[in-house]
Amino acid sequence: MADIPWVPAAMFDRKFVPRGAARCGTAQFSLWLTPWFFLLGLGLWAGYLCLRDGLYHTNMDNRFAFGLWIFLDLAIIAFGGGAFFSGVLLYFLKLKELSAVIRSAVLIGFLCYSGAVTVLMVDVGQPLRAWFTFWHPNTHSMLTEVTFCITCYLVVLSIEYLPVLLRNRQIRKIPSFLVFEWELHKLMPVLAGIGAFLSFFHQGSLGGLYGVLRGRPFAFRESFGIWPTTFFLFILSAMAVGPSFILLTTRLVEWISKRTLVLESVYVKLARISGWMLTFYVLLKSVDTMVWLNSTSRRGGFLPWEYYSWEPFGVWILFVEIGVFGFLPAVWLLRAGRVPTRSLVVPALLACAGIALNRYVLTVQTLALATLPFDEFLSYTPSWQEVAVFGGVAAYGVIVYSILYRYTKLFPQER
Amino acid sequence: MFPGVDGFHWSPVHIVFLTAFGAVLTVLLITLAMAALRTWRDFRNGCAASIVWHSDFEDLPRSERLCRHAFEGSAPGRVCDRGFDCRACETHPKLTAIETRHPAPLTAGLHYPEGRLYHRGHTWVEPQPDGTAFIGLDDLGARVFGAPERVELPAAGSLLAVNGPAWRMARNGSEVIVRSPVDGEVLAHGAPGCDWLLLVKPAVSSAPFRHLLSGAEAGAWARAETDRLLLLLSASPAGAALADGGALMPDLRQAMPDAPWDEVAPAMFLNV
Repeated sequence: MADIPWVPAAMFDRKFVPRGAARCGTAQFSLWLTPWFFLLGLGLWAGYLCLRDGLYHTNMDNRFAFGLWIFLDLAIIAFGGGAFFSGVLLYFLKLKELSAVIRSAVLIGFLCYSGAVTVLMVDVGQPLRAWFTFWHPNTHSMLTEVTFCITCYLVVLSIEYLPVLLRNRQIRKIPSFLVFEWELHKLMPVLAGIGAFLSFFHQGSLGGLYGVLRGRPFAFRESFGIWPTTFFLFILSAMAVGPSFILLTTRLVEWISKRTLVLESVYVKLARISGWMLTFYVLLKSVDTMVWLNSTSRRGGFLPWEYYSWEPFGVWILFVEIGVFGFLPAVWLLRAGRVPTRSLVVPALLACAGIALNRYVLTVQTLALATLPFDEFLSYTPSWQEVAVFGGVAAYGVIVYSILYRYTKLFPQER
Repeated sequence: MFPGVDGFHWSPVHIVFLTAFGAVLTVLLITLAMAALRTWRDFRNGCAASIVWHSDFEDLPRSERLCRHAFEGSAPGRVCDRGFDCRACETHPKLTAIETRHPAPLTAGLHYPEGRLYHRGHTWVEPQPDGTAFIGLDDLGARVFGAPERVELPAAGSLLAVNGPAWRMARNGSEVIVRSPVDGEVLAHGAPGCDWLLLVKPAVSSAPFRHLLSGAEAGAWARAETDRLLLLLSASPAGAALADGGALMPDLRQAMPDAPWDEVAPAMFLNV
């Protein structure tokens, strides 16, 4: 059966659309982008207010210094972990099936990381002094390592995505671009290796920075060498949720575009990888939680139920994170191949929700709980500016992904 | 952070930190520089056309990458993984040895002379006794593109690479690259009115024409290509173009001006 180029009458940009790929008309595409551009504009305005007047526009303060932005930053960086993990699986462990989603995974990684960096720039403020963090870093801070790793990894992701851009229908007409893309592609294992190295450390350090907080018994954990257990749990959780997030986004794009983007076997492979990693992560997380509640915390003078006596952070949150969003999706994902492939969206969604909840707990619950006798339980609700800035980043992700899906071949198996 | 900057100490922590990130940046720069250097080398060694073709081939839809043996029945549905270059293919001799079960008749009205060899990009090659070969556009290719407004032929003395660009044709603002069926040197251009466009001296090789189609195999392929063309055109507002038993018009573009030729022509000439 030939690939029929379904060409809508009003498709003014068809020369840029990959041949044989069915895409909607230009007007329909513009209509799809319009609300996202509106959200992006709102986010830019809110970001401008924060940069102009400072964090006065947010509901964060000196005690509640981490809020919505950091929580969502950590979550999307974990989701973006699918890029480095897929690269390792494809280029080093030779799981060729993943070549069907690697371009999308790299793009999602790029969008997640660039979005996170943008929000951090607004959070930190003083963009004209952004270079200070590189020129005068505090080498004893895990955040310094995170800053360097994320910046370098963003460069790696940009280079990794470059070949896909250079294969655009019009850009590829310049032969030197295509030859450069070919040669760069051959060196991709080097970039995948660097990406894995950088990701290992920054994913770990993002978790580690909570685990070293001696003054916050809710977050403080035992250490292996210089690394607290949260260092390893963050790496594992990113590796577990990355494939689930790729599965989820691919299904979402399939649903919106009404195209088949990858073979069903690719979904099964992604689900199994995610299932095994999630199982391993949840087991270690459970052991870590038991050690923390029964040993680490008691030595710090806190009894386990003291953490969970402040509503809404009841003990339910712990069971939901480990049970409903941990064990349940892990078992479900491991049954991939024996359950309908379409149903794998549910455990993938639960797994993503679990990792997001983990980041929320470590960021918001840690700061909300009283630590000293004279402390009070703090509550925090993000301001509209905080929500709008993150909405803007989400819109940026959707817009860039939509444009690149339209004009490049993100999924080689698309049919 | 850096020596000479306030705050830097020659301590192990600072040195390890600086070295680790310095190494990462160095590897990144070396990777980019190597890719650029290899690109330059590919152009200098004349491999650029082959690389561009392989890159294009990867992005062709599956239906355009079918193995030649899929047409005559010895390997139904098989997809080529060698960029249509059967000269080094290990499977090709095995599949050739299989007796074809369904020799397909040629599509009515198409002219594919027996003595010619056919390339998947709709060109033909006619080897001459003196070792040269004529190259022209095959019948289906000529009907699909019609009369071009502009043809850009390579200058005499230019080197052609199999599946690389042989010449360009333009009509109504859209351009297609016609792929070369052979490796070789351009000797002359065909005069207006000739059915051949290039006279080439094929490069010395053990089997210079092994990848080209002939005889019943070419007929089966031409029929499959006609079916593919009809399917491509069936997506147009003009609807299905060929009733049972009809023949293709000599200039399809003129006959079906509303068809999406910007999509159909590249698809037939293996352009991405």
